[in-house]
Amino acid sequence: MAETATAAARGTRVTYDFVTRAIARTLGHPGKGYFALLAAAVALLAVGIVCLLFLLRYGLGLAGYSHPVYWAVYITCFVFWVGIAHSGTLISAILFLFRSGWRTAVYRTAEAMTVFAVMTAGLFPLIHIGRQWYFYWLIPYPNERGLWPNFKSPLIWDEFAIGTYFTVSTVFLIMGLIPDIAAVRDVATGWRKKLYAITSLGWRGTNEQWRHYTRGYLYLAALATPLVLSVHSVVSWDFAMAIVPGWHATIFAPYFVAGAIYSGVAMVITLLVPIRKLFHLEQLITVHHFENLAKLCLLTGMIVGYAYCVEYFTAWFGGNPAERAAFWYRAFGPFWWASWTMIICNAFLPQLLWFKPIRTNILALFVISIFVNIGMWFERYVIIVVSLAGEPFERFANATYNPTWADWGIMAGSFGWFFMWFLLFVKNFPAVSISEVKEVLPAPTRGKAARA
Amino acid sequence: MKLVNPLTAIFHPPPTPGVLAVFGHLDATVDAIGKLRQGGHTDFTVYSPIPRHEIEDALDQPVSPVRMFTLIGGISGCAVGAWLTLYMSYDWPIVVGGKPVGSIPPYVVIMFEMTILFGALATILGIAFNALFAARRQGTIAYDARFTNDKFGVFVPCEAARAGPVETLLRGAGAEEVRRA
Amino acid sequence: MNRRRFLKVLGATSGGAAALSGCGIGPEPTEHLVPYVVPPEDQVPGTATYYATTCRECAAGCGLHAKVREGRVIKLEGNPESPINEGRLCSRGQAALQGLYNPDRITDPMARGPNGEWQKLSWDDAIGRLAGKVKEARGRGIVFLTGLEPGSFGELVDAWVKEVGGRHVTHESFAFEALREGNRRAFGTAAIPLYDFARARYIVSFGADFMETWLSPVGYQNSFTRAHSFDGDRDTLMAKFVFVGPRLSLTGMSADEWIAAKPATEALLALAMAQVILAGRLAPAPLDAGRLERLLPTPQRVAPVVGIAAAEIERLAREFAASQGGLAVGGGVATQYGDGAELLVVAVNILNYVAGQVGKTVRFGPNQAVADAGTFRQLTDLVADLAAGKVELLLVHGANPGHTLPAAFSQALSKVGYKVSFASYWDETAAASDLVLPDLHPLEQWSDSRPRTGIHALQQPVMQPVFPNTMHTGDVLLRVAGKAGTFKDYLQSRWKELHQRVGKGRDFADFWTDALQHGGLYAEAPAQPVRLDPGVVQLLGDVGGAGSGAADEPLLIVFPSLALHDGRGANKPWLQELPDPVSKITWHAWVEVHPETAAKWQLANGDILLLKSPHGTVRAPVWITPGIRPGVLAVPTGQGHKAYGRYAKDRSFNAFELLSDAPASFGGRAFAAPVAVVKTGDHRRLATVEGDAREQGRGIIEVLSLARARELKSGAHPFAEREVPGYAEDAQKAWAEAQHQKASLGDYAGTPPRWGMAIDLSKCTGCSACVTACYAENNLATVGEELVVRRRQMSWMRIERYYTADADGRRVGALVNPMLCQQCGNAPCEPVCPVYAAYHTPDGLNGQVYNRCVGTRYCANNCPYKVRYFNWFNFAEPGGEWESWPDPLNMLLNPDVTVREKGVMEKCTFCVQRIRGAQNRARLEDRSVRDGDITPACAQACPSEAIVFGDLHDRSSLVARLAADPRGYHVHSELNTKPAITYLARVMHGAARGA
Repeated sequence: MAETATAAARGTRVTYDFVTRAIARTLGHPGKGYFALLAAAVALLAVGIVCLLFLLRYGLGLAGYSHPVYWAVYITCFVFWVGIAHSGTLISAILFLFRSGWRTAVYRTAEAMTVFAVMTAGLFPLIHIGRQWYFYWLIPYPNERGLWPNFKSPLIWDEFAIGTYFTVSTVFLIMGLIPDIAAVRDVATGWRKKLYAITSLGWRGTNEQWRHYTRGYLYLAALATPLVLSVHSVVSWDFAMAIVPGWHATIFAPYFVAGAIYSGVAMVITLLVPIRKLFHLEQLITVHHFENLAKLCLLTGMIVGYAYCVEYFTAWFGGNPAERAAFWYRAFGPFWWASWTMIICNAFLPQLLWFKPIRTNILALFVISIFVNIGMWFERYVIIVVSLAGEPFERFANATYNPTWADWGIMAGSFGWFFMWFLLFVKNFPAVSISEVKEVLPAPTRGKAARA
Repeated sequence: MKLVNPLTAIFHPPPTPGVLAVFGHLDATVDAIGKLRQGGHTDFTVYSPIPRHEIEDALDQPVSPVRMFTLIGGISGCAVGAWLTLYMSYDWPIVVGGKPVGSIPPYVVIMFEMTILFGALATILGIAFNALFAARRQGTIAYDARFTNDKFGVFVPCEAARAGPVETLLRGAGAEEVRRA
Repeated sequence: MNRRRFLKVLGATSGGAAALSGCGIGPEPTEHLVPYVVPPEDQVPGTATYYATTCRECAAGCGLHAKVREGRVIKLEGNPESPINEGRLCSRGQAALQGLYNPDRITDPMARGPNGEWQKLSWDDAIGRLAGKVKEARGRGIVFLTGLEPGSFGELVDAWVKEVGGRHVTHESFAFEALREGNRRAFGTAAIPLYDFARARYIVSFGADFMETWLSPVGYQNSFTRAHSFDGDRDTLMAKFVFVGPRLSLTGMSADEWIAAKPATEALLALAMAQVILAGRLAPAPLDAGRLERLLPTPQRVAPVVGIAAAEIERLAREFAASQGGLAVGGGVATQYGDGAELLVVAVNILNYVAGQVGKTVRFGPNQAVADAGTFRQLTDLVADLAAGKVELLLVHGANPGHTLPAAFSQALSKVGYKVSFASYWDETAAASDLVLPDLHPLEQWSDSRPRTGIHALQQPVMQPVFPNTMHTGDVLLRVAGKAGTFKDYLQSRWKELHQRVGKGRDFADFWTDALQHGGLYAEAPAQPVRLDPGVVQLLGDVGGAGSGAADEPLLIVFPSLALHDGRGANKPWLQELPDPVSKITWHAWVEVHPETAAKWQLANGDILLLKSPHGTVRAPVWITPGIRPGVLAVPTGQGHKAYGRYAKDRSFNAFELLSDAPASFGGRAFAAPVAVVKTGDHRRLATVEGDAREQGRGIIEVLSLARARELKSGAHPFAEREVPGYAEDAQKAWAEAQHQKASLGDYAGTPPRWGMAIDLSKCTGCSACVTACYAENNLATVGEELVVRRRQMSWMRIERYYTADADGRRVGALVNPMLCQQCGNAPCEPVCPVYAAYHTPDGLNGQVYNRCVGTRYCANNCPYKVRYFNWFNFAEPGGEWESWPDPLNMLLNPDVTVREKGVMEKCTFCVQRIRGAQNRARLEDRSVRDGDITPACAQACPSEAIVFGDLHDRSSLVARLAADPRGYHVHSELNTKPAITYLARVMHGAARGA
């Protein structure tokens, strides 16, 4: 193992074997640093759980809500995490359909991120409802009341969209994992071997298996692609279907999808940079990959920036006084700082990615990606909280909003929850696809071995 | 325990006799496949760490039936979505917001999501059914741990008595290692 | 008070048998509810019984109907037979319930022990002690201090005090001394006449807050709206209302014109108006008014002093006279600046007199009983006696000078030998006494009062005492005096005398029962003519000097709080949480500062100011409002209690501390003082429910000028959808129609009713009585100051108050509208609910199924009117941090309405329990529901009768007629929500004001 590592560092040839070993090596015994990170994540989660218990006991009043601001940090976090979840499927499914070779090195991380982000996002609607213990009333099951849920409510669409998305992205992740688990099974020892023997579901890489697998994978990708687009569209309709000025806009679906992919790609960069460093995967995840991610970031960032302009333009051009008031309030009201944080982080900062030296500078990308994450969180905050607080119809009812410890605590807990799963995953399952990285390598033929 | 026996046969089938060849090179594997097919072998198994078109082309198998699973799953999902929304709306009709009890536009969202969900799950079922269970009916065949790493493999089922020519054929195609199972 | 005790009470009330047995182990024994063995005759479970009685929350003496369910009173409503309030009731009156069930009531007689600690006593012991003290103190100074008691109880006290050789002093914080003194000097009678607003055609109020605390606010508001509302078309006469005062009070908000004359110059304005009328022979003035002519100041002379152009004054005078129904009233702070303020009343009297209105809109004869209250001077004399040690025994009942005269009274009290309090609550005075003999609440006792000459209002116990170990003070006094019989016997003996006078030979039992059923005897006292006192001529010389003292320091005025009055309402959470109709602030007091002043001092809302008057210092948070004259500051009374229970204690500041303890020349108190203002740098978030105070042309409140309103013919629609272009409107209409068909909404398109409401903004004054009515009827939680700061108030009915002004910020006014669930036809809240908790009932209501709600709050986000309220906490959890109904306040919960759990959304449903109740009654009587059968609580309470409820499908119903009125409009109609509430635009004299 040590030899391979040094060999990799020296820039040894990337062969099938090297790929297997390099990735299997990431699953070795975790170090102190890993446990420290995991402990931090679990501690954050514990904070969130304690806050949640208080919330369950005493009621939602512990959070910062006020009379017109009925949705706030929890829904912000929900949309934020759903957004994060989007790049995973985008990279794995859409780029798969487009046969973009560069996706292979990054898609597994992205997909795992997707699943855990959806898992995180899915918690928030449950946390944010007033009677959390009755969350299952939203599910269409036969009950003694004889009442079914209201399928006209965007929240039910949401439930179906998020549920489907979680299911599909999970099976998509597992599907991709099977050949890789089989690969690490065959080099692993001890309890990990048993774990992988079970979770590889008997994969051996036979021609029969590959035949059905590749076809099935293609169809899954084909299904997942419209799903990605639909999920954030549906999430955006939670707002766009309401009459709240600042929400009620036809641009919301594409705007949200672009924003979701944008934030997701940024999160992928945020996660990949440390993973690449810690797991010594520089050979597999190259600067080229980051540059491509940065380009995707730039593209979606431009779309998002354009959407901001369109929102303000429509508000002005439409001439609806309520709409105008809402956007005036957004830019110059008491929440101006949130709006401008969002605009600077999301629309202006990524313009730096036009420059190749910045695109290829991992540290710069890492910093920019974090700002984009912050900016995208504020985008949701601005859309949700500021639109509600400004209450442009009933002037007398507007009010400000201040988050409380319960908001921050549960939000922190969600990061703990996400990173806990993510850390557990990367240490126990291949965080970079073994078989797909091999696919983009030239196959070993007689006389010469595969070369990167 | 009559009932158990068939199950045991499924999960722990007896080993299939045959010849297992390990290849280090893709072109050699393709070569071997070609020769085997010329030699009239049809039920051999090829192992590879990654799916390769060369192998697929050499094997020239029909397109996977998984697509039918996907199609049927998708269509039934859409139907379930339509039934769910419309039946449940009319089961206890409640007017909200002055909208029709059965409003198609909002229900399209549900139908769409159900299409995807059922399609995806059916695809998984299709893969699992075809790749895992269907393959297993043949019995346990020899395998080598290197096949998921960097080696290709070909397993040709045959009686021990007729293994000789197969071995020769595989060696001739460029197998690094040939052994009987 | 636990449930078991309540059951005992219940059993006793009904005269039936409520058997119960308690058994079990542990601190909370199991209790069994056992049904009646012998059901009480007068009670049907689930059906309310109504008892007529009289409100004692202020001196107005409104008639009450107490709604009693299963032995406990759950709601107070106005008695329609009472000529005082005509079936209407204000917030204070309705909140009397929370005084009855107050968790901080004194439950047993208590005496201060040797170390100052309170000890429970038996009643025998307590009465024995009192009797002993009375015997001891005889001849060494016995004083009985009560509130205004215009009835048999007051007579009993008088007689009792006479017998023990003491004196009886009555104290009302707002006793209208200036009014009495002014009337005495102008007409030679210190009586307070009846002001007939209903017959007035032009009303000028010089500071009189007749919708808040002035004399009889409910009755006056009711009659004011009769004169000032707009009904009909071209021929409609609508009285004009001009408000003169330094502060735009609730009363001022209804005015067509607000004149912020310089403080203390109002009298000059009134006199100058009188001069114009007299000089121009504009009205048929009485003959003796002529000699005033040369004495009265001309508009030109007073204009610079008052700060109003002479032409304006002349215009006002001409309009006043030309209306032939002018009514000028003076009061509030305008009569309480200090020495000489009674001259305003003289001036107002002269104005009415020269306009020939005395005897018409101002009628002596049906005089207000409040004129019998002791003056502030009598109280200060008493305080001087106390301080001098001349009083050995002080008995206090129904007055709390410890709060209203904080420094002087409390100091003087320590010199009194023995202090006995008959208080029901631990107010400041009770807390400082030696013996406390808890009285029954007015709703638990027999009594009567004569609020106005000719009106004998009876008070009867509407339920058994909540705390059985309390006793009627009348009973105590009778026992101390060694008299046989109870106070009820005494009361009946007084009524027997009345019976002999007016009984017309009827049997007394019949007479008594009849009076009980109707709440008393109502007769109209004949008007008595008055003539101008010749001495008034000398007075006019003094008037010229009024208001000349121009102080550099800002003038602080203390105005009475609508909800808390002089502080007696402060222990009632409904009143604490009722947003002040003007400031919209709850749970604490504030100081009003004009924006110009605030800019000069660099103040923001909520900055704490140190206000130093020559008499005291308080810390007050700033509320910046255009509704006050620059250079004037205003603070409300009512807060700052040192005791008085959990809701009142240590809350904000006591404005009385700023006031002089010495009486002014008219025998009353000065409610104004110059103050030095210091910015402290501290800040406090105002517990306000106000968001944006500007309506910004959103069509929430529409205003029409009177001329325009008169032009409107039936069928006109001046408020047709704005904003929406023609093509969009057509598309919307076609779409809506198609949707309507498809939705098979036949169930509310056809025979079933569609409940609707019409709210006439020309009548609504913003008094907020409907808000409290809604709290009482629908079990709304009070959430406390901290949560109001975070806007978690639960009031389903909210009075929105928007300020208006000219383009240059002048001519400030205010518009109000009650905002409640609009019961939209196309409700945005409904389709977004994932669990059908929000749905449409076939009779057109936006139903809200509390038990089905999971609390996604999507409906509230999607409600453009923002009238849905969320239960952030469990407000009903016994002992919980946010408990809204601590025992026994929970006894006032309406059993017809669910108490909502935490995490569910709640909202107005037009009192659906009343709708269903009326429908059930109609079904039992085999008839359909008639127009007027159903009155929601808000409409029922509304003193100005602005709210009308009924079936919009019934063409003959009043509400359908009003909904078709040309003045009608829907709020946010551009959203196509099709609300069931039609607002009728406010009509104003002069040009409509921009928001």
